[in-house]
Amino acid sequence: MHQLLGVVIPACMLSLAGVAIGADGGGATKPPQPAHDHRGEKRIVLENGDGAIVTLWKPDLSTQQLTLDHNVVTIPMTGIDNYHAIMAEKDWGDHKEAVIRYEYRFGRPSKQSPSRLAAKQKTAFEIVPDPIPREHYRYHSLETWDYLVRFNGKPVNDLEVVLNTANGSQLSSTTDANGRVSFQIPDDFPGMIEGERDKRLGQFTVSSEYLEGDRRYTTQLNAGYRVNPAHWQSTRLGLLVVGIGFIAGGFLGRVKSNGGKAQ
Amino acid sequence: MNNSINLSVLRKIVQLGAFIFFVYGGLITGYYLDDKISGALPALSCAYDFQGSDLCTLIPIQHQMDHRLGEAIAKGGNLLMGVMPTLITLGTFLLFFVVLNKAFCGWICPLGTFQEILQIIGQKLGLQRHESLSRDLVTRIRPAKWFILLLLVFAFPLLTGIGMLNHDLGDPFCRICPSRILTTLATGETTQLYLDTANTTTIVMSLLGDFIFGLMIALALTVRQPFCRICPMLALHAVFRKIGLLRLIKNGTPRCDRCGLCAKACPMDIHEIHTDMESRNVTFEDCTLCGRCVEFCPDKDVLQLKYTLLPVFSSSPQYFKRRKKRQTQWEKGNLIAWYKKRPMSAKTESS
Repeated sequence: MHQLLGVVIPACMLSLAGVAIGADGGGATKPPQPAHDHRGEKRIVLENGDGAIVTLWKPDLSTQQLTLDHNVVTIPMTGIDNYHAIMAEKDWGDHKEAVIRYEYRFGRPSKQSPSRLAAKQKTAFEIVPDPIPREHYRYHSLETWDYLVRFNGKPVNDLEVVLNTANGSQLSSTTDANGRVSFQIPDDFPGMIEGERDKRLGQFTVSSEYLEGDRRYTTQLNAGYRVNPAHWQSTRLGLLVVGIGFIAGGFLGRVKSNGGKAQ
Repeated sequence: MNNSINLSVLRKIVQLGAFIFFVYGGLITGYYLDDKISGALPALSCAYDFQGSDLCTLIPIQHQMDHRLGEAIAKGGNLLMGVMPTLITLGTFLLFFVVLNKAFCGWICPLGTFQEILQIIGQKLGLQRHESLSRDLVTRIRPAKWFILLLLVFAFPLLTGIGMLNHDLGDPFCRICPSRILTTLATGETTQLYLDTANTTTIVMSLLGDFIFGLMIALALTVRQPFCRICPMLALHAVFRKIGLLRLIKNGTPRCDRCGLCAKACPMDIHEIHTDMESRNVTFEDCTLCGRCVEFCPDKDVLQLKYTLLPVFSSSPQYFKRRKKRQTQWEKGNLIAWYKKRPMSAKTESS
């Protein structure tokens, strides 16, 4: 049985807390906060990456082949702002695997919309975020996001899709008539303390399998997600403060009985 | 202009159209920031509104102060490269700003429109409104917008980038801006209405943001354009107002000394429109080019909105008479007046 490629962001490279899907994800203790370095080189670990072809898709849809070195691939500085896609493919003859991850890299303005990168067919069987979270935004737990499943550029309906998180959650759903599937990202970070900001980064995959004749295709979308800020941001208290402000405004804006009218 | 469509009505139509476009127009312009129109709009159209069609220039400026110029200073990098993104943002801002000048405030800004809608609601509820703020109060309020621009848009983000302040002060104006809460609420999102308990800075900033939002709503019912008076965008506009193609022009006459209707009509209480007899270009720093002063000037061509040299709207006695009549009719209709005018029998039944 072939093993899926797994994309891993090692903790030592960028101080991120990413761990391999299926490995012992997320400890009870809080790891260091992530660094905010999106300009330099970035290294990504590929599990079982031997023989895989790794391609970097830039925002302008140009591509660059990347080389694997002991299961580690280095994403070079492209100097272009916006989402890039890292695609790893491995062909076993009767089975083709693909793993994709979208990474935001800073640089000069690309003048390109990420929707072009998402729309472009990058491999035969592909799961595409629909949409990719907007620039400077991230996936958060408890949020519901859509994904589009395509084969040769066409949506695949009625296909089982599975979401796994490194924290041990698994969800399953089936694509609709338009090839879309929705998942609410699990709120499964261990050891969360209500009211305290938690900057941990978790990893999740959305994966599926498709049979075309005798050939099997497996695909995996890999992404990071963070703790939902609702754990330390209270809408109820916010509304209360708005109310206090409103009362204060009413007091300040009161008009004495001899007040005039506006022109 | 016919009797029913006056400049104020026309402006309201433009304002509502702009509100819908800039708050919900992302459905047309796209979801991603790169799809937005300018990325440096001279009006408070918020980037936190994912359905919005553009974002205000104060957002990239804060980020560039923090992440580009501040980091360049902190790391001893190339300062020119650090300041270049801000120059590009300001250049984009100016390309738009030159076209409409400060009319971006009076005709386009979603937050300005929201405050005017509240003012209409206050009037129709029959709440007694301030005729004008006193000259002394207006003079004391005016510097606030400059302090907010310099401190919250430039200084704090820059000091954050340098490493002298914590990361939560990287975009301090956005954290207190009512447009962030308004535009997200308008799209059904409650995620920006919160009290953030992460640390002391976030508690203070979110308290301020929420409090100002509530304060603005209540004040706008009785006071004209309360937040606009301290808005840093108004200050940024003021810096470049001389290069805008649309201007407010005054051809003062001796009668101006006795009248003062223009200043009373001004939603920003700019008394200088009335008192300044020297300047021809009276697009003062607080002016939003709404044109109300021109509408309520009873003398021919004394006040004009000019696009370069071309007058686009001029004061006239005939227009003034019609406009004054319409305003009086408009002021009469409100909930309290309707309640008082009800027949006695209806009052008895309801009691």
